[in-house]
Amino acid sequence: MGIGNSLLDIGHSKNLGFEIMLSKKTSNTIAGIAFLSPNIIGFLCFTTIPLVFSMVLAFSNWDLTLHNMFHDEAIKFVGLKNFIRLFQERDFWKFLGNTLFLMMGAPFAIAGSLIAAILLNKDLKGKKSGVFKIILPGAILFISCVMLTLVGMGAAALTILIVGAVGMTLISGILFGQTVYRTLFYLPNFTSGVAVYILWKKLYSPQTGPVNAVLDKPVSVVGNIVNATPSWVLLAGEWLCLLIGLFIMMKVLKSLFNHWKEGDIGSCGLVLALFFVMLPAFFAILWAPTAAMKLAVPAIAVVLLVFHLATDLKTRDFPCTIWHGVGSGFMIAMISLIPMFMFIGFAAAIAHLADITRQTDFSVLPPPEWLASYDWAKPAIMIMGLWMAIGSNNMLLYLAGLSNVPPELEEAADIDGASPFQKFWHVTWPQLAPITFFIVVMTVIGGLQGGFEMARTMTQGGPFGSTTTLSYFIYNEGFATGRLGYSSAISWVLFIMVFSITMINWKFGSKYVND
Amino acid sequence: MSMTENSKRDSVMNVSKGRTLKREIMGISLLHILLAGMSLLFMLPFLWMVLTSLKTLAEVGLPEWMPAAFQWKNYPEVFDVIPFAKFYWNSILIASWVTFLQVFTSSLAAFSFSRLNWPGRDKVFLMYLATMMLPGLVMMIPNYQIMISLGWVDSFVGLIVPASFSAFGTFMMRQFMMTIPTSLDEAAEIDGASKWQLYWDVILPLSKPGLITLTIFTFMGNYQSFFWPLVMLKSIDKYTLPVGLLFFDSTRGQTTHLLMAGVTMSVLPMVIVFIIMQKQMVKGIQLGAVKG
Repeated sequence: MGIGNSLLDIGHSKNLGFEIMLSKKTSNTIAGIAFLSPNIIGFLCFTTIPLVFSMVLAFSNWDLTLHNMFHDEAIKFVGLKNFIRLFQERDFWKFLGNTLFLMMGAPFAIAGSLIAAILLNKDLKGKKSGVFKIILPGAILFISCVMLTLVGMGAAALTILIVGAVGMTLISGILFGQTVYRTLFYLPNFTSGVAVYILWKKLYSPQTGPVNAVLDKPVSVVGNIVNATPSWVLLAGEWLCLLIGLFIMMKVLKSLFNHWKEGDIGSCGLVLALFFVMLPAFFAILWAPTAAMKLAVPAIAVVLLVFHLATDLKTRDFPCTIWHGVGSGFMIAMISLIPMFMFIGFAAAIAHLADITRQTDFSVLPPPEWLASYDWAKPAIMIMGLWMAIGSNNMLLYLAGLSNVPPELEEAADIDGASPFQKFWHVTWPQLAPITFFIVVMTVIGGLQGGFEMARTMTQGGPFGSTTTLSYFIYNEGFATGRLGYSSAISWVLFIMVFSITMINWKFGSKYVND
Repeated sequence: MSMTENSKRDSVMNVSKGRTLKREIMGISLLHILLAGMSLLFMLPFLWMVLTSLKTLAEVGLPEWMPAAFQWKNYPEVFDVIPFAKFYWNSILIASWVTFLQVFTSSLAAFSFSRLNWPGRDKVFLMYLATMMLPGLVMMIPNYQIMISLGWVDSFVGLIVPASFSAFGTFMMRQFMMTIPTSLDEAAEIDGASKWQLYWDVILPLSKPGLITLTIFTFMGNYQSFFWPLVMLKSIDKYTLPVGLLFFDSTRGQTTHLLMAGVTMSVLPMVIVFIIMQKQMVKGIQLGAVKG
């Protein structure tokens, strides 16, 4: 291409330009490489060489406990031994499960970011006269709070402080619009790091932490209610939750196959979406409270799937290519996962509460032990993650996306008499789809590699490895245990997972934008 | 006939206008209250943090959030208990060096990728992009071995140099420089400017917004960086703030009030920087991701 251009130039400038052209090109090349050199030298030293080194390591048995100054064995290449050992190790699957479990908070976080962005994107200023009406009571509230704070400390002062903070937020929010709220939403994400993890560790402290101090009353009330309810009602409640979950699954399956029939989703997209939609059914095997439910829920789900496969696969109105609509199938699956997991979770929670109140003689239900308990450590980290992730970059991206939605489209929908929900679903959401796809891919990539800082600062990966993610596993093997070869092998497995997600993004990300 | 109809319609319109205005005010008020409530959820942990940092040790275990009297002396006490000032200084020193070097090397490389034509340029750039997707963990063990052989373990050089080359920074600066019109290059060339002059006198001043955004991101990212310092640093007086806080927590975690004072002091600079610089940052985040 470059040569073709220069040849063309030579033709134009006849014999005169030949030397100049060549020298210009070489000088450009020299300058280009010179400008790049500081960066590319660092790039070679700290990225390329380590990458190759790491790949070699993954096939070696370099272990600091075997190869050190006291005990010098030769480092050998062991072929695929590290990988075989890894796949046979039960801990690896457990830690992979932990990583995926923690990632289940992500759909909630993304939905939260979207809701926050939609609220922030609304016209917050309104008409001036209206604004004044809100400022006045707000200001009065604030001044009274300040005065009360001056009067005394204690429990009342805290209420006053909180009310004052809200009042101040309100007033500045009214005066300056979305920036104020955006800043406050974004701060947890921006400051997230070791400092904030330590803060949350203290918040979660079972005896002295404020989380349990706040939860104490509601939890015991819930416990009493559960205690007082006859067990058949609880059982019915569990079934109801699971059936609602299955009902949602039915609806989603129907809509997926409809899309497939109409040629919106190709075979590959359908298979991918079905995989995700069926996931809760398999989780129900683990979580469902009774044996009957463990059997019934997956069975019903499989029956639903087989029914659709049997009836809908035969006829297809508008065929399309295999790869078409993978993105939209993925999105439908992701959206449906949120309520399905929620209802399975409700069922499990009801059963769990009933269990605790039945087993123990507590007149009051003890609040969870959070980071100190095997079952609650992961939810605790997920809740903290939600707190940090709602106002994250994702919210800012959604804000940018929302401001790019053409107002004519919304006006047209208004004229057609669309309800706010219809307007969102048919007008706004399709416009946000590419951004959502990007966010989901980035979140999955980040989630697979995540969890190290939290595990290191909050739980040390415990209790009993319940918060050890893959990244903490790699760190532990490499830097604590000293099995360098093995640790490299794990990191390459992680790399392959991340890489395949990236490939999906490259293959379908741009296509989905065009849909 | 038409007149009366018109006036009738007008009056109807006015009534409905008044109604919609009222509804709008109600809606906006509700929205503001909702948003302020949500903001409170995000603020409460920080509020607890500050209030706890002002308690006495005896008050730490109590469920009341409010201390009987504000113990401002907790803050100077942190500096006596652990070498907190040292941690602060180390963090800022390392983050400043990394930021300076990274912004410099990134802008040089970005200039090469966006303004100079050389064969194979786009292929090399694609390779850069691909490495952004690499999990950093893959390179950690080999990098640590490299640090051992260079004798850089437990030194600031070992923290600064490997962090000074960033594919992300290069990518971001290139995206920014691509938006600067090429006619400027031609004009500079006609004036007889060298490539260095083009870079230093024309392109760099024009990419100021991009440079500022990259500076903030790099600085903040390195101020908080945890993994590499944790692995590399062995002696306490070289600890950075995150590693130092972890050390504080593991050795004197029972003095929650002092720990919270330390946490508050390490979070505060970030809050201030964000509030001052948020306009550039929000733009940078939106630009970097949407175009990527």
